[in-house]
Amino acid sequence: MLRLFFLSGLLLAAPAAFAETPESVLASFKGDASGAPGFQGFSAARGETFFKTRQGGEWSCASCHTNNPAAQGKHAKTGKVIKPLAPAANAERFSDMAKVEKWFKRNCNDVLERVCTPQEKGDVLAYLLTIQK
Amino acid sequence: MIRRILIWDAPTRVFHWLQVISFAGAYLTSESERNRDIHMAFGYILLGLIAFRLLWGFSGTRYARFSSFLFKPGEIIAYLLSLFKGKPGHYLGHNPAGSVSVWLLLALGLFLCVTGVLALQDDAGDAVVEMHGIATNVVLAVILLHIIGVLVSSVLHHENLVRSMITGFKSAETEEGIRRSYNWLGAMMLVVAVVFWFVFLRPAGG
Repeated sequence: MLRLFFLSGLLLAAPAAFAETPESVLASFKGDASGAPGFQGFSAARGETFFKTRQGGEWSCASCHTNNPAAQGKHAKTGKVIKPLAPAANAERFSDMAKVEKWFKRNCNDVLERVCTPQEKGDVLAYLLTIQK
Repeated sequence: MIRRILIWDAPTRVFHWLQVISFAGAYLTSESERNRDIHMAFGYILLGLIAFRLLWGFSGTRYARFSSFLFKPGEIIAYLLSLFKGKPGHYLGHNPAGSVSVWLLLALGLFLCVTGVLALQDDAGDAVVEMHGIATNVVLAVILLHIIGVLVSSVLHHENLVRSMITGFKSAETEEGIRRSYNWLGAMMLVVAVVFWFVFLRPAGG
């Protein structure tokens, strides 16, 4: 019986044990970006510009996530509701590294037709962290 | 005397190859949000095809009917064993192993399309998206087995099963072919699929 409680306790705690925070994700990006020569940290201002500008393609990040990351977004093709992206408006954001990587990979391909650099990811997250609810 | 007899009617053949195109197209657009509408178009066509096949399985020509390929588990195992021994029994329509892939692909395909539609809803959770992804991989595995089976059976029976699924004809000594091909229905299916494609993907009105 005691072993059952112990094991269930471990299982319940497991998700929390693997959870990220936006800050820990940002730190992880910083680690990746530091490798590039001339890295001078992340800039929320640069991230905001990156977020709202179309980069030679049809879409910007804002095309789905809107110009206000605290607001609800909408899929530009299907109209499906997208929950707010800013961590202050949505506590689930940037809490699961696998999801962060999956969606950066997919959406950077949608917007830029390439992967985003750690610099770009860090700038965007830095910007998102400045957004109030 | 060996003669060329018609086994697969046009609707069954059109269904088969449109399915191939739809699944391949949906698979290739699965990771793109920009092409999400194309992915949906393929998915809806696939759903429509499966719905048709379920009806045709009860009202179609002989070898398309489900009743013609309901094999007992013992028969399926016996056929697989005979395959491994290199001396499989010959079936004009679906052989027992092939019938399993039909059942699996119809059921999995339906599950795939339904989870896809559910994943589009505003309140879709991660679970339904995960199930959609898992179902995709299972379907892919069954398709691979199906292709291997078709190739092995073709070699062992000295017949081109792929060509038979295109033309509908097989060579056999019996007279047990189907009488009508229902070409008009096959053509109609093609038209409906193409029209749906263009209507669904038309640019938003201004």
